[in-house]
Amino acid sequence: MVGMMAADWAETAVSLLNSARSSGEIPAKLRWLRQLKEVLLHRDPSLLPDFAPRLAELQADRASPVRKLLAEMIGDIGMKHMELLPEMIPSLIYFLKDSTPAVARQAIITGTYLFRNVLEKVVIQGLCSSDLDDSLKSSWAWMLKYKNAVLPIAVQPGSDGVRLLAVKFIEAIILLYTPDPDVSSDPPHEACEGMGFNISWLRGGHPLLNVGDLAMEASQSLRLLLDQLRFPQVKSLSNSIVIVLINSLSAIAEKRPSFYGRILPVLLGLDPASSVIKGVQVPNAHHALKNAFMACLKCTHSSAEPWRARLVEALKAINAGELAEPAVKLKENSGGIVVRREELSPPKDDKVTLQECDERNNDLGCKRNMDEECSDLSQDDVVSSKRARQTSVAAKEVTNESLQKSPDSVQINLPLISSTTSRDGSSGPVQQLVSMFGALVAQGDKAAGSLEILVSSITCDLLAEVVIANMQHLPPTCPEADGKEELISGLGYASGFVSNSLPALRPSVLASDILSLSSSLPMLASLLNIQPSASYDISKIQQGDEEKMTATTDATFSPSSVGDVIATTSASLPASVEPSELVTEKDGTAVPLYANMETTESKIPGLDSTSSFDEIQESQDASHTSTAELQETNLGHAVNLVSTMRLDASTTDCEAQSPQPAITDASQLPCIASVTTAPQYILPKMTVTNVDLTDEDKDHLQKVAFMRILEAYKQIAISGGSQIHFPLLSHLGVEYPLELDTWGLLQKHVLSDYMNHEGHELTLRVLYRLYREAEQDQDFFSSRTATSVYETFLLAVAETLHDTFPALDKSLSRLLGEVPYLPEGVLKLLERLCSPENERHEKDFQSGDRVTQGLSAVWNLILLRPSNRDRCLQIALQSAVHPVEEVRMKAIRLVANKLFPMPSISQKIEVFASEKLQSVADDIPATEDIDADGSALGLQKNGDLEKPPAGRQPPPSLDKNELTSDNPLDQNTTSSSISEAQRCISLYFALCTKKHSLLRRIFAIYKCIPKAAKQAVHRHIPILVRTIGTSPELLGIISDPPTGSESLLMLVLQTLTDGVVPSQDLISSVKKLYHSKFQDVDILIPVLSFLSKDEILPIFPQIVNLPLDKFQAGLTRMLQGSPHTGPCLSPPEILIAIHGIDPEKDKIPLKKVMDACSACFEQQNVFTQQVLAKVLNQLVEQIPLPLLFMRTVIQAIGVFPALVDFVMEILSRLINKQIWKYPKLWVGFLKCAIQTKPQSFSVLLQLPAPQLENALTRNPMLRAPLAEHANQPNIRSTLPRSTLVVLGLVQDSQASGPAQTSQSQAAETGSSAADVATEVTQESTAVS
Amino acid sequence: MKLRHAMVCSSNQNRSMEAHSLLKRQGFDVSSYGTGAHVKLPGPSLREPNVYEFGTPYKHMYDDLRRKDPELYKRNGILPMLKRNSSVKTAPQRWQENAADGCFDVVFTFEEKVFDMVIEDLNNREHKLMKSVLIINLDVKDNHEEAAIGAKLALDLCQELEAVDCWEDAIDDIVAAFEKQHKRKLVYSISFY
Repeated sequence: MVGMMAADWAETAVSLLNSARSSGEIPAKLRWLRQLKEVLLHRDPSLLPDFAPRLAELQADRASPVRKLLAEMIGDIGMKHMELLPEMIPSLIYFLKDSTPAVARQAIITGTYLFRNVLEKVVIQGLCSSDLDDSLKSSWAWMLKYKNAVLPIAVQPGSDGVRLLAVKFIEAIILLYTPDPDVSSDPPHEACEGMGFNISWLRGGHPLLNVGDLAMEASQSLRLLLDQLRFPQVKSLSNSIVIVLINSLSAIAEKRPSFYGRILPVLLGLDPASSVIKGVQVPNAHHALKNAFMACLKCTHSSAEPWRARLVEALKAINAGELAEPAVKLKENSGGIVVRREELSPPKDDKVTLQECDERNNDLGCKRNMDEECSDLSQDDVVSSKRARQTSVAAKEVTNESLQKSPDSVQINLPLISSTTSRDGSSGPVQQLVSMFGALVAQGDKAAGSLEILVSSITCDLLAEVVIANMQHLPPTCPEADGKEELISGLGYASGFVSNSLPALRPSVLASDILSLSSSLPMLASLLNIQPSASYDISKIQQGDEEKMTATTDATFSPSSVGDVIATTSASLPASVEPSELVTEKDGTAVPLYANMETTESKIPGLDSTSSFDEIQESQDASHTSTAELQETNLGHAVNLVSTMRLDASTTDCEAQSPQPAITDASQLPCIASVTTAPQYILPKMTVTNVDLTDEDKDHLQKVAFMRILEAYKQIAISGGSQIHFPLLSHLGVEYPLELDTWGLLQKHVLSDYMNHEGHELTLRVLYRLYREAEQDQDFFSSRTATSVYETFLLAVAETLHDTFPALDKSLSRLLGEVPYLPEGVLKLLERLCSPENERHEKDFQSGDRVTQGLSAVWNLILLRPSNRDRCLQIALQSAVHPVEEVRMKAIRLVANKLFPMPSISQKIEVFASEKLQSVADDIPATEDIDADGSALGLQKNGDLEKPPAGRQPPPSLDKNELTSDNPLDQNTTSSSISEAQRCISLYFALCTKKHSLLRRIFAIYKCIPKAAKQAVHRHIPILVRTIGTSPELLGIISDPPTGSESLLMLVLQTLTDGVVPSQDLISSVKKLYHSKFQDVDILIPVLSFLSKDEILPIFPQIVNLPLDKFQAGLTRMLQGSPHTGPCLSPPEILIAIHGIDPEKDKIPLKKVMDACSACFEQQNVFTQQVLAKVLNQLVEQIPLPLLFMRTVIQAIGVFPALVDFVMEILSRLINKQIWKYPKLWVGFLKCAIQTKPQSFSVLLQLPAPQLENALTRNPMLRAPLAEHANQPNIRSTLPRSTLVVLGLVQDSQASGPAQTSQSQAAETGSSAADVATEVTQESTAVS
Repeated sequence: MKLRHAMVCSSNQNRSMEAHSLLKRQGFDVSSYGTGAHVKLPGPSLREPNVYEFGTPYKHMYDDLRRKDPELYKRNGILPMLKRNSSVKTAPQRWQENAADGCFDVVFTFEEKVFDMVIEDLNNREHKLMKSVLIINLDVKDNHEEAAIGAKLALDLCQELEAVDCWEDAIDDIVAAFEKQHKRKLVYSISFY
């Protein structure tokens, strides 16, 4: 049965395998295979030995998923049946090289499991018995083979996915091979799951394995990993690998703290400044590093302890670096490319060769502490690899140099090599920095970020030192490009410029990897192109350059070092050869060109000497491929060469100081040989010659050089290296002779595009340099020159800024605020700006903003420059009295709001304003004298009636009246003198709003200023008063005004009470004033509505006595009252008060009182019928009757005829009061009666007979109608006989009788009149 | 869809769920997690957040908040978000407690702190499977709008990753291209299961 089953399974398995093989579809294949695996592993494992080889045949299957599955199956099978491994591992090894990464990955994964398992098994079996199974031994042997196959994968370029796993595999091996501090080192007695594994179990001895050997192997493997992260290699790695390496290493360090000492130095060496990994993705590596450091920090193992401080430091650096990161990235993104600084590295090479074993040099970039690493096995490798790198750089240069060999003894000056070492031996840090720059530059643009960080992190001083140390690399000649044909030479030109004259430029300026090329080619090209042509277009050239450079850089982007550079060189050379040839032809002087390399070999037209190159070329090529060992053997040579080189370097220096163009004298060119340390070359022979230049040539050269530096702003702008560029320019400006007009050039440059050329910074640089020059005062001439250049420069810039920039621009103000000092010319400029002259502002005065600009600059200067404060204040003050109002107002705003609050100058401002105010009073124009007198007269109280035109008028209408009433001749002068007065007083008024105590002066001076000025004051004062409100100072003035300021005071009061409720203080001040000093009720009118009835009544006669219009105003105010208390006097009260005035006693003309009455009657809506009735009712009770009573009655009836009945009542009451006893009223009474006839007849009939007689006698026309009225039967019966007699209706027969009747009648009517009176009183109370 | 994705944020509510929801709709094999100690949702004030344990169903939170102040939580978008979440999965899951969910190929985090926690957690696990996992961080502000943008970006990136055979080989390029295109900074790391 079992056999049957087994056979069945075997058949099944075979058929599955066959199906899998034959099936064309991948999914089907996979399905078959999975089933097969299931069968083999779980159903009948006995089949495995047969099937293992057959499975292995599938390794060549075309479908990668099948191969991957196979690799997986090998793992599954191998885990359970290790004895089969020898047959399957070869497939696994085969898979490692599979073209599909997934398969290779699976192979490594599988292999890692297997390796671990086999190892554990081997160890445990070895511990248990002294001998091992053969099959196990064989499996182990295969596993070792497998391991050896995997190791290279981890270090070779290939699929990153595979490589990552290979790294992981190595990590696993290292961990397996080294003792695990967390697992007991005592071997277990029996194997069990999950107990962990510790290689130190082997200490007791093992037939196959040796702890020491394994440890050694682990160490080697570790070195393999570490080396990846060391300097040259690391930059060829992809980010992902770097991350995984870092992670793996930190994991190893954590798990095996004994490796701390080896791993951390490498990780720390990867600090942000020097580790640049493929340029772009630095943040990821940083992040991984940070995490690694954090993890390492957490480790508590004792061997981790010493590293803590450095870890913390490194973490800080990373954090700082990350901050800087975005900036770096930005630059990179913007297409900036690293400037190469190849010429910086030779000094470093010198050092290497001079001090052969100086390890300090070896890790330039990595700040590792070598002492700690001396024992590190891998150290040698680092050194050699570095050296290889460095020398490769050197080799490049030699390559370039060899180009310059020339058969005609025309040698090309190539100051590539400096003697920094020998010269600056004293300045250690500088030296180190120079080397560091060199090393970074050697990496090309990949080091851009690091360079950036480095440059930005060192101090300016140090940077300057570095620059100076590098100045000697400046090209000794100043080539001049010529027009378009030399575009290419421009390539050299610009790059040479960048790399040589500005060695410390930030990295992103220009192309990078072309470097060695650019440093040599430019020399070539430039030398060839020196021509005394003055016209060139540098910017054009440079544009060309940039394109070219970029192109070249692209070509060199691949990471490998030496070969690429050669390729680049050759790539760019053909281009450079051509134009130089052109030049050659053009000049007619056969300047031979020695270009280089392969291209040279093939064809450089017109060059015969190429063959001589070839040999060198070949040897160069050899050198490029040469390895570190080769280098070392050649060190000896290098030492020899160095001495030669020093000589040359010093010559270079001489040359550099007197630049010499070398074209005209074809025979002789300055020639400095430069030497690198590349050992296996023999230096070309060098001769040094001098060229005498004419003065013009020298000047020209200098000028051209200056222009070149000046025009480099584009690169500078990109790189942000202006802190070097600017001082250089300003220094050159000072050093060059004046005839060259460097200042003019500089000025033109600055002003051509102030913003983009960092004009502000550059101008400041220049000015400070000049200032220093002037202040140094070395000799009279130079300091005077500097001063005058300073002044003209600043003035020119300031004027241009003013003319070209929009008025709102702050550049001018900023510039003036920051320059060393302000010459008078600039102050004058400011003055003109702030106080534009008349004819000028007419044409461009729409730009009143200019004034603002000037004023804000002035303000700025007052704030920032105490020494110029007085002068600037003067400018501002002059502007504040400018005739044009717009200008003046701007200036006044500045002075009053900004400057006046400054304690140090407020006094001056105040004095100035006071003087101006005083000047108004002092300069009274002759023509106005009379008017002034007139108005002075007008101020006197009684002048108003006599002198209406110039007389006292209500202040608001004063202007108008005077302007219209004055004769036309006067009018012009008046308006002009008003504005003149305004000009002078505006500032003072503005100051008053800030300092109220100044107000009094205005009042004090008021009486003595001319009329026009008064008008000006009148215009200003309402605004001022509204701004200030009722301040204590103002109240003080109100309660005690200077004499002569009354009308001004009135204006103030009107303003203060206009539309607002005056404060209690104000009211009491006014009252005080009225009572103490100024008995003119006029001033009370503004506050009248806020006075109480008791206060008003005593002064009421005075109010009535005011001119009619004022009275009317007062009337309105009284009736209106304050919002809180209501009217101070009700209309009846007013009328009664008017009637209460006794013209005799109060000395008020009766006419005034009558006018007042009429004024009241005019307001019919206020003084209504009811009001009048009420008033009359009350008045009629007064004893004596008011003088105007009857007049009022007549008026009332005139206005309101409906009152007639009421008036009849009044009249009859008057009869009771024996009205005939008051002659004046009696006249009025009769007048009224006549007016109101016939209603008044009944009243008249009530008169006693004698009075009736009197009345009829006075008014005979009454008699007839009255008699007729009385003759009516019903009336006649009621009339006494005496009355009838008077009327002539009855003859006078009984003289006594009627008298009695009349008396009784009179008593009767008297009582009835009293009734009516009470009735009316009741009515009136109801009304009130 | 060969890769397994995990979206991770702090509370497994907004950013990770937005991305989870989006990727799920696009047919991705995706899960989502939070790395915080608790699930925190905004409360009536800054000092009074609503705190839940991981594992509390979204539905439960929804009901809870609706009871507390339906207006407030509707207005600030919490209720709609919870509703959306409950349609995606039952409850927020904590990354550290769900190691059993198996291997992911891509873990997307939306905050650097979360990124670090995921890496640390992965590093603390044993690397037995030798299976690499890509952890990518894209900083996204924790609000609804940014989360929507972030999810879209995550989707883009995941599609890019799906499109290549072996992300290990292409990751640098993908990341660089992504950064260039979207002007967003990515940080990634690689760890192993």
